[in-house]
Order: sequence, then C-alpha cells, then structure tokens
Amino acid sequence: MGIAEFFQHLMNGLTLGGIYALIALGYTMVYGILKFINFAHGDILMAGAYIGLFVFDGLRGDAPLGTWTMIAFFLAMLISMGFSAILGMSIERIAYKPLRGATRLAPLLSAIGVSFILSNSAAWAFGTHSRKFNYPFDNTPVHIGDVVITPHQILILSVSLIMMIILKLFIDKTRMGKAMRATSLDQGTAMLMGINVNRVISMTFAIGSALAAVGGILIALDFKVYATMGTMTGLKAFVAAVVGGIGNISGAMFGGILLGLLETFGVAIFGIPTGLKDTIAFGVLILILLIKPEGLFGKVEKEKV
Amino acid sequence: MKKSLFVCFILVALLASPLFAQGGGEASSPKIGFMGPMSGDYANYGVLSNNSTMLAVEQFNAKGGFGGKVPVVLVTEDSEGNVEKGLSAIEKLSSVDNIAGLVGPVFTGVSFAVGERVQSEGIVMISPSATHADITSIGDYVFRTVVSDGLQGEVAGNYFYGELGYRNIGVLYAKNDYSQGLYEGMTAAFEAAGGKVTIAESFQVGDKDFKTQLTKIRSEKPEAIYIPNYTAEMAQILEQATQLGMDIPFLSCDGFSNPEIYDLAGDFTDGVIYVGPAKVKESPAYSDFVAQYEAKFDVSPDSFATNAYDGANILLQAMDKVYKETGKFDRSAIRDAVAATKDYAGVSGTINFAENGDLVAYQGLYKVNGTTPEYLGSYTVVDGVLTQVD
Amino acid sequence: MLNFFLLILIYSGIYALMAIGQNVITGYGGMLSLTQAGFFAIGSYATAILTTQAGWSFWATLPVAFLISALFGLAIGLPTLRLKGDYLAIATLGFGEIVRNVLNNWDSLTNGPMGIQRIPMPVILGYTINPYKKYAFLVMVIVFVIIAYILFQRLARSRMGRALAAVREDEIAAQSMGINITKYKVYAFILGASVAGIAGSLQAAFTLSVTPGTYTFMVSVMVLCMVVLGGMGNFKASILGAFIIQFISYFPQLTGLSSVIPPQFKQILFGLILVVMMIWRPQGILGREATRYRKRAVSTTGGEQ
Repeated sequence: MGIAEFFQHLMNGLTLGGIYALIALGYTMVYGILKFINFAHGDILMAGAYIGLFVFDGLRGDAPLGTWTMIAFFLAMLISMGFSAILGMSIERIAYKPLRGATRLAPLLSAIGVSFILSNSAAWAFGTHSRKFNYPFDNTPVHIGDVVITPHQILILSVSLIMMIILKLFIDKTRMGKAMRATSLDQGTAMLMGINVNRVISMTFAIGSALAAVGGILIALDFKVYATMGTMTGLKAFVAAVVGGIGNISGAMFGGILLGLLETFGVAIFGIPTGLKDTIAFGVLILILLIKPEGLFGKVEKEKV
Repeated sequence: MKKSLFVCFILVALLASPLFAQGGGEASSPKIGFMGPMSGDYANYGVLSNNSTMLAVEQFNAKGGFGGKVPVVLVTEDSEGNVEKGLSAIEKLSSVDNIAGLVGPVFTGVSFAVGERVQSEGIVMISPSATHADITSIGDYVFRTVVSDGLQGEVAGNYFYGELGYRNIGVLYAKNDYSQGLYEGMTAAFEAAGGKVTIAESFQVGDKDFKTQLTKIRSEKPEAIYIPNYTAEMAQILEQATQLGMDIPFLSCDGFSNPEIYDLAGDFTDGVIYVGPAKVKESPAYSDFVAQYEAKFDVSPDSFATNAYDGANILLQAMDKVYKETGKFDRSAIRDAVAATKDYAGVSGTINFAENGDLVAYQGLYKVNGTTPEYLGSYTVVDGVLTQVD
Repeated sequence: MLNFFLLILIYSGIYALMAIGQNVITGYGGMLSLTQAGFFAIGSYATAILTTQAGWSFWATLPVAFLISALFGLAIGLPTLRLKGDYLAIATLGFGEIVRNVLNNWDSLTNGPMGIQRIPMPVILGYTINPYKKYAFLVMVIVFVIIAYILFQRLARSRMGRALAAVREDEIAAQSMGINITKYKVYAFILGASVAGIAGSLQAAFTLSVTPGTYTFMVSVMVLCMVVLGGMGNFKASILGAFIIQFISYFPQLTGLSSVIPPQFKQILFGLILVVMMIWRPQGILGREATRYRKRAVSTTGGEQ
C-alpha cells in the first residue's frame, strides 16, 4: 500500500468514524443519564433528516449555492432540531415514562416498538425511495497530493468535535448538567434534593434528540434520506458508544473514530473481504466488552451486597 | 380465573379471525397476485413493480375485463424480501385468494422458494426481475420478463471486452442475489473473452459508505469499474468516486434504467455505459406507459417495473384467451397460453418465451450523456460471439 | 384458506421452539439475549448444507444442528457472562449480526446471498413429510414442541431450574448459597441455543430453501417479544406467546386486510402492541409460573420485577 493510499484510507476512516461519533453522542448522553438504551434514537435521526430536507427544500426554492442556501440550511437544522426535541420528549412521555421503575427489559422492548412505529410510518408517509439532500455549499473535493477530502467530511469531523465539547461543558458546568448528573446517580435522592427529575429527563431526551437531528441532516447530505436510514447507522453508532464506555461523552467520540478506522483498515490492510466490514465492527464490540465490560472509558459500577 | 378467561378470549379471537375474511370476497371475479418486498430496505423495488401491475389491472378492467364483462382483482402481498415471508405470502395467495397467476416475486432468493411452490400448485408465475440463471429451470410454470444474469452478463462481458476494448476492470457489487449474480455472469464472460477482473470488492446491503472499497479499487488502477447494483447504491458510488477524485469510466446494468438515478446522482452519471432493455426508449407504447405511470403514482418506473407491466399484461391476455375459449380460468390452460405468447408487443420490447420460460430478448447498450441516456445499439450473444442486432 | 392457516400454525410451532429456548435464557436465567436468530440460522444452514452437499438425511442433520448450535451457545455464552443487562443484549445482538454477515459472505459453503435451494424433504419410515401438504409437517412440528416443552418443564423444576431462579433474583445471594453461577448460566445459554438450532433445522426442512435474509435481528426481537408477551419464566406462556405473535403478524393477511392497508401497517401495529404491552402488562399475559412445592400454599403468580 502506497503512502497516498494509506492516508486516503485514514481520511475515509476518520470521517466514517466522525459520522458514528456524531450519532453516538446522542446515544451515550441518554444512556449516561437514564441507563436506558434508546433504540429509537436512529429513527429520531431519520425523522430529523426528513424535516430538515423538507424545510431546506422549501426555503431554498431554486436559489443557487451561496449565502442564502447556507442560511436556509442553518434554519432547516434549527427547525429540525426543535421538531426532533419535541418528538423525543413526546416519545419519552408516552412510551418510556410509564415504565420507569419496571424491569430493564420493559423500556428496551418499548423502545424497539417505538423504532418500528417511526421507521414504518415514515416509509408509509414519505414513500420508500431515497431522497437527495442537496449540499448547501460547494462540495468540490480538495486535493492534498493524492489524498482527497471534501468540505463535507471536514464539516462532519468538526461538528462532532464541537458538539462533544459543548455537551461536555453543558453537563459539567451548567446547573441543568449538574441536575442531570444527580439524576443519573440516584433519581430518588435527586428528587429529595429538589430536582425536578421529570423535567431533567425530558430535557435529556430533548437534547439527545436535537443532537440526533443534527447528525441526521449532516449524514443525509452524503447518504440521502430514506425511511430506514437510522437503523444500521444507528446500530453501529451504538456499538461505538458502547466501545467508548457508554455514558461517557468523550468515550463516544473516541469509540466512533476507532470504529470507523477499524472498519476501514480492517479491510484495507488486513485483507479481510470487504463484505465482512460489519463483522469487524461487531467483533471488536464483543472483544472490547469481554476485556473491559464497561467499555474503554466507562466507569466500573461496583455491585453492592 | 380471570386470567384464563382472558387467554381463552384471545385464542378464540385469533382462531376466529379467518372466518371474518370469508365474508367480503366476490367469488365471481378471478384474482391475480403480486408479490414483492413492500416494506423494509428493498421496499422501493416491490412498490415500483406493484404500481405497474396495478396500472395494468386498472387499464384491463377499464376495457371491460375478461370477455368484456368480468373484471380482474389484484391481490398484493408483502414478501419482505425473505423466504419465510415469501412462502407465507404465496400460501395466502394460493389458498385464500385462489389466484389464477402471479406477477413476481421481485428477488432471486425468494423466487427460488416461491417458484418451487407455484410449480407444485400449478400456478403460473411471471417474475419481472428475478435474474438468476437457474430460476426458470425450476419448472414449466415459471416465467420471467427479465433477461437472466447469464445473458446480461454475457452481453456485458463481451461488449466491455470487444466493443469498448477493456482488458482489466474492477467490480464493486453488493452482497445480494441480484448484484452478485450479475458480477458473476459478467466476470465469466469477460474472462472467457480474455480480459481480467483485477479487483472485485463487495459491500453489505444497507451500506452507504463505499470510500474504502473505492480507494482499494483506485489503487489497482483498472481501466473501468463495473457496478451492477440498485439505484440508490449506484448513486452513492458515483458520487463518492468523484469525491475521491477518481476519473475512471463506470459500467453498469439494467438497475441503471431507473430515472431516479439522475435525481440522486445528478451530473455524476455522465459517461456511464450500461446494459439495459433493448431499445425501449424509442417506442411510443413505452412513452405512453411512462406518462400514465408517472401521472398516477408520481414516480418514474424502473426497468423492472416496465417488465412487471408486461408480465401482468401477458398474464391477463392469457387468462382472457382461456376465458373466451372455455368460460373458465383453468390454471394449466393459462400456463399454456402464457407459454404460447408469441411476439407480444410489450412496452419493454417484443416478448417471446424460450422453452424453459426464459425471456428471449436482446440487450440494449446505453451511454449517459449528462443526464440523458443515449441508445448505442442492441446486442445478443450467439455461440459465445457478441452480435449486434440493431 | 386451510393451507394458509396450517402454514401459520407450523411457523408458530417453529417459533415456539425458539421461544422456549429464549425463555430458558431470559425467563429463567435472567439474561437479556438477542441472538436467537443467530442460532436459528446456524441450525437452518447445518441442515441445508448437510442435506444438499453431503447427502445426509434430515434426521441425521438434527443432532448436528443441535450440537453446532450448542457449541456456539457455549462459545458466546461463556465469555459474555461477565456482561450484564443491556451490555449482554448488545453483545449477543452483535453475534447474531456476525452470523448473518458470515453466512452472506462465505460463498463456497453457503452460496452467499443466493442461499441454498432444493433441500430434500424429510422422510420417516419411507413416508415423505411433504411441507406442501402441511398436515404431516404440522404434526411433526407439534411433536417437537411437545417434547421440548416436557423436557424443559422437567428441567425447570429440577435443581438447575431452581438454581437459575436463585441466580436471576440475586446473584450474590445465590453465590453465597454455594450455587455455581457461571455453570448454570452457561447451561442455560447452551440449552436455549440448541433448541433454537433444532427450530432452524425444521425451518430449513419446511421452506426447502434458505437465504441469509430470513435470519435478521427482527427474528430475535420477535422471539423475545413472544417470551415477554406470554410471561417470562413460564414455558406454556412462551408457546402461547409464539402463537399469538405469529397470528398477530399474519392478522392482516388472514382477514384479507393486507391488500387494502399499506404494508407498513403490520409493522406499525407490531410496534404499538409492544409499547402498549409493556405499559399495560409488562409481566405478560400469563405471568411467571409459580413453582409449587408440595403444598399449594404459595401463590406468587405475576410477581415479576
């Protein structure tokens, strides 16, 4: 393998990882606070992408690429984030809240149910074909020697990095973040301390879902918009979140990038047939869980007798 | 006690549910079935072909139906693209609806299982898109209005080698029955002619990122890349190849005939050469069909949907013939009438069935100029030699 | 109509076998496994490959399917036992995906995405059990379900069943009572896997054609739902759950609604049932079966959580 090819693979792996990381952040945030796998996260992402697409196309009209398309894109993203936040909160209210305090199995299955409802409703309402989400900016690739990178790839990487930092600051520094951490440790005690736990949980879902919408729109630019877009990418992102130690925000970022690189280099260097890319992802997941069941950066939870 | 009553109630309700079904059926109208993936990842292919079948049925009934008086009823069932659901769908169509013939299934894997079943039931089946070479060898009730991977692959491989002069090409295919079948068919013919497939990369159904595969292919420097896939994946591949700065000609298959590709991939389609149905673009019947289809469903038909339209019409015509002769819809007579189809002027071209139920057809070659396909000619392979017929 | 009805009964029976296996793992062992589809696939392919390529009879492949699935059950069960709850769910989900991925890519053995066709019909004492004719096949499936039910029911009442129940309720307490947790958990996994393997063999003999597309994550979810819907830790309930879920999923076709309503409604309905079920009756229809010892004094039915 030549140097150029190596760096090209590195670039591909990094951006694929960036995509996983972007979605993993939302997963990990909800899990970190509620200890609950929101299986419907990928479908909220899909809903966010559809809303973003409709708003963007509506606002843009026939305008050529330029400042207006960027503004329209930004507005579309904001509206989609708002919509997804409301969607996420409603789902929590209807399908998860009644199950607080039930067995772990109950909310998981309920979430799987919500996921079916969302993706199939979308297929029914919006049709089964893929829709193109036009780039709001000029996506002409940049050549650095023989290595090629697109502005979109840079955008994905930087947005996931920025989101990670904001999210970390939010949870570590703000009052709401503090309340979230308290809720995560012990809901009952948090309530006694005067924290409105219901509000905190709603907030968590709102933020997680808004993050999903951002991810959905950015991914849609490359992968198009279709009803099942959240399923596999969501699953992989979840793997990334677990690898990084679910609940840990920088861990999710790291896990995403690691997964992207492993998938890319697994088939590029080790000569594994490319059809087995998913096997690498899930194999690594199982391996990491076996060596460190709490994930690479996860906290070990001591079991009390 | 309450609990067991509840259980009994559920069981009784479930067991009784089929009884309600019997109520609404009009026994007099004959039924035909359509089967394809209507939900899930591949739903779009089922939906597009089902649309055509609906259109054919509607037009047939508008003309009065069989013998000018008996309308036909279409029953669509979802195969979900897998064998388990495909078998339950055919069982339902055959034992509940008592269909006279089937349009579908859409995919090879399901078609194998369903084909065996219709053969044993004696229901004629016309698949619009099951391309695997062995499908029609299941039996005499299995037909298709699509050319087999064998023929398409042969024409593709020989054309790439002989007419385009490529000696080494790369392939990027999906691990599904359609894509892999074409890859294998093309490779066999191309290598028999003397060329070499220097690199063949694959991906999983549902993947959208092909940069790793493309980077690997790029470093092998093939003269061209063959991408026998479905529309959405091909659009992805073309776009990402451009993003990787690859300036290599792309070659494709009949999946490229779906106009959706131009919406999804835009200018990236420029220069692609693909094998498709012979010469449909010039026939007025074809343009009429597309216009009616688009007016009714607001999407464009792909070549499989075009095949499904012809398949449905051939089936209806055969049933009509049998009905006029006998006043009944005898399944084996319908099969014979389908097999006897001669020079049927369909929207996808002139249709004849070979002895084994395979479509006898030529393959058209197209080159995309911007976002408009240009017809290059029609070909077939006679004794291993590529022959231009038009 | 009758044939279609029989087909649903046969599928229900095959899924009931898987549900029995899932119940050992989840209902008794308390392990949230999402991998029945993987063992199902292994069983199916074992039968498909051995009958078509090696010319074995269906009956000879049964023990092989059983053993291979059991072996994989051991291989996945032993290491993943360190994992708990959601982590275990994800690791097992990953395993199921790996199985499907490998089947789809190992062309020389499994014929890849084309699948394997023309699997011979089972023959018993010179009589061919023709799946097209249904009755004989249904009887065969029912016999299998009854045998599995009796065996597992006995098992549940044995030392192992009680040990598993103790482990599920409180691992540490069980351990301090001298119960070898690892041993019993691995047993549960192996048993659950092997019965799913047998279900896979039956499936292959019934469909006479296998493709990787059948063995998706969705199958594992459905089987888990069957167990939860019926009531965990209750084999009768698992079988009941299997029949109910199968009939629900074929409900639109049975009533003739399938050609009227959009195809997505079936999945939406399934999702709704999951959510409503979890909220309304998370312990399932029948609830947990109370093990009665001598006197019928204790009545703790439905006391799950």
